[in-house]
Amino acid sequence: MGFLWTGTWILVLVVHSSPIQAFPKPEGSQDKLVHNRELSAERPLNEQIAEAESDKIKNIYSPDDPDGLHQLDGTPLTAEDIVQKIATRIYEENDRGVFDKIVSKLLNLGLITESQAHTLEDEVAEVLQKLISKEANSYEEKPNKPTSKTESQSGKIPEKVIPMAAIQDGFANGENDETVSNTLTLTNGLERRTKTYSEDNFEELQYFPNFYALLKSIDSEKEAKEKETLITIMKTLIDFVKMMVKYGTISPEEGVSYLENLDETIALQTKNKLEKNVTDNKSKLFSAPSMKSHEETDSTKEEAAKMEKEYGTLKDSTKDDNPRGKTDEPKGKTEAYLEAIRKNIEWLKKHNTRGNKEDYDLSKMKDFINQQTEAYVEKGILDKEEADAIKRIYSSL
Amino acid sequence: MAGRGGRALLALCAALAACGWLLGAEALEPGASAAGMRRRRRLQQEDGISFEYHRYPELREALVSVWLQCTAISRIYTVGRSFEGRELLVIELSDNPGVHEPGEPEFKYIGNMHGNEAVGRELLIFLAQYLCNEYQKGNETIVKLIHNTRIHIMPSLNPDGFEKAASQPGELKDWFVGRSNAQGIDLNRNFPDLDRIVYINEKEGGPNNHLLKNLKKIVDQNAKLAPETKAVIHWIMDIPFVLSANLHGGDLVANYPYDETRSGSAHEYSSCPDDAIFQSLARAYSSFNPSMSDPNRPPCRKNDDDSSFVDGTTNGAAWYSVPGGMQDFNYLSSNCFEITMELSCEKFPPEETLKTYWEDNKNSLISYLEQVHRGVKGFVRDLQGKPIANATISVEGIDHDVTSAKDGDYWRLLVPGNYKLTASAPGYLAITKKVAVPYSPAVGVDFELESFSERKEEEKEELMEWWKMMSETLNF
Repeated sequence: MGFLWTGTWILVLVVHSSPIQAFPKPEGSQDKLVHNRELSAERPLNEQIAEAESDKIKNIYSPDDPDGLHQLDGTPLTAEDIVQKIATRIYEENDRGVFDKIVSKLLNLGLITESQAHTLEDEVAEVLQKLISKEANSYEEKPNKPTSKTESQSGKIPEKVIPMAAIQDGFANGENDETVSNTLTLTNGLERRTKTYSEDNFEELQYFPNFYALLKSIDSEKEAKEKETLITIMKTLIDFVKMMVKYGTISPEEGVSYLENLDETIALQTKNKLEKNVTDNKSKLFSAPSMKSHEETDSTKEEAAKMEKEYGTLKDSTKDDNPRGKTDEPKGKTEAYLEAIRKNIEWLKKHNTRGNKEDYDLSKMKDFINQQTEAYVEKGILDKEEADAIKRIYSSL
Repeated sequence: MAGRGGRALLALCAALAACGWLLGAEALEPGASAAGMRRRRRLQQEDGISFEYHRYPELREALVSVWLQCTAISRIYTVGRSFEGRELLVIELSDNPGVHEPGEPEFKYIGNMHGNEAVGRELLIFLAQYLCNEYQKGNETIVKLIHNTRIHIMPSLNPDGFEKAASQPGELKDWFVGRSNAQGIDLNRNFPDLDRIVYINEKEGGPNNHLLKNLKKIVDQNAKLAPETKAVIHWIMDIPFVLSANLHGGDLVANYPYDETRSGSAHEYSSCPDDAIFQSLARAYSSFNPSMSDPNRPPCRKNDDDSSFVDGTTNGAAWYSVPGGMQDFNYLSSNCFEITMELSCEKFPPEETLKTYWEDNKNSLISYLEQVHRGVKGFVRDLQGKPIANATISVEGIDHDVTSAKDGDYWRLLVPGNYKLTASAPGYLAITKKVAVPYSPAVGVDFELESFSERKEEEKEELMEWWKMMSETLNF
């Protein structure tokens, strides 16, 4: 799961990377850091020191407290502290990918909602701005481009040391326990300053009506994992789009339309997958010739109908069929045919027409069916597989 | 900015791909699986009738299912192929499928000739299943109908257009997309315009029925005719249909001939010689459809002119002029009387409404079917009892004749009244008979025609007899 996440984020972040060269360091790829350092023999010393420091920070992360949510004295961090820490880290690493990573983890852990994430973003931006302008003020003769590493190198270090030390110490004292209480405090801290949102805040999902309905309908335990994954992905993508809009990469209208397309596509793909599962289960029932009861009464049916109408691009049987598309079709069709044949036989048994016993003669019926299905295939009324299926059904009676 | 936008899009696509990979789903192929899902739904609907839109594969399967359930009374055949190669499928229901039983009238329903007028198509699929179900349940009306009629049901004359219409995303379908066939031809304007010819003949003298002799040759050589149109014309020529209905959408009315105005104006009541029976037939449909016959029903659209509508029926030309339509082509080229039914204000309404449309039209569809058993029917034979095909049956006071079919059988739809029927054929002496016609059932009237040569022989014999008598008396 983590790997998949990583994968997704790499894709997302790679393209969104800011103009500077800093490459986001995905978690768990510590070897890469080592390599970077080895290869960067020519990089300014200060930079290497900075990197080493941040690596150390990462190596000290405990699984329970990956972001070092504690103060020097072990008391839980307030929201302001967190904002400060994040802003500082971004500043140091010159990469806002840091923020994204942290926020995604927080979202993933369910510690914050996306609205809170946005607030956080604003606040971090504010602090970052302060850091940058502080930096700029201390070097009036050099107009500082906050994103340029080389220029601000000299000025950075002294500023960096203090917060860095603070962070380091904090981690030295860091406990790897009671993440829960810390989490709660953290959440409370954030909530103190922001509006309270309900746990399942789907307000963003106004763009995703189909998806939302789908989520609501996924109840079974088996799909719980899928549901979680889907929710997380959706939240991430919403954020991503919002960021793009915020930074002017795309217009708000484009953003909305991406989200709407996304909704339909993802819901559709999930449907396909879920359906496949259900169909596979149903195929087990096929062998019984008796009447089956199908108990699909969930709302996904309506979704399927809606989506079918919206995206209905069924291929003709007169043209070459997509072989993959056929796997679902024969099962439902054969069942229908089976049912029809059953009714026919039943009726024929009851009505030996005109008292002529010969009329219900099964072998005669089979011959007739064989003949007719052949004729129908020739005329393009049935296709070969259907005809064979029908003949098979009759021969098994 | 543009560059970044492009990269953003790429990112989104990448994220989508990641999602897709994550979900283990395959590339965007909603149709097949969704169809599989719908097919399973079908099995739990009413008695095998699934109230949902059927695309071409589902249409075919639905008809095959009916056939499989009712092999004794049904048969599927095709009258030809659409432009894109889809079969124009027909399901026939009768007690002797595939065979014209002498004296048994032939009936057809055709739907969806405008591909985006979808309700008719679905109703006909439902109807086929319904007739099969009811027959097996022993429903007397249906059993009688199937034993005494040969019912042909063609759910879609324009399957290509339907696919186009149905492929539109979203619920709101365009008013025109999918209307015409794949070549862009409006099938209901594509038939040879026999109305024009009739109007000229009315002024200058000439027949008003079975126009277009040598029809097959003309049809096959006409490059302007769509394959669907050609197929239907052949179908009409091959089977001696008596009564027919052509299902449309976009309004709510039963429309009867003539469709084209006499004077060429936009609206003008242009009655055909059989105006009386057509009105009666139209009412037989509309009166069983609650919304169609509702006198207080507002027009489908605010500014619609439905001033010509009476009891849910209308003369075609009084409503608006339609040249080259299939309805009038039936009446003027063959014995078949056809009416056009407009079944829904919305041409392609949401799927959830289909069940209601079925409930509203079910009784009308059966009632209209029963109308084929009205008026006068019988056989035209010679004195030896051999059938005379293509004999003319004319009715005094109605300027429109019908002809007898291969077995000498004929059917003449008439409103109740007293009539004089005349049967004639080339080389035969015409015979006239008086008939009192009730509302229904049809009255049986047979004709035995004497040929000219037979009469000549008779006269010769009479003459010889007289000569013999004379000579004996006068002692020649």
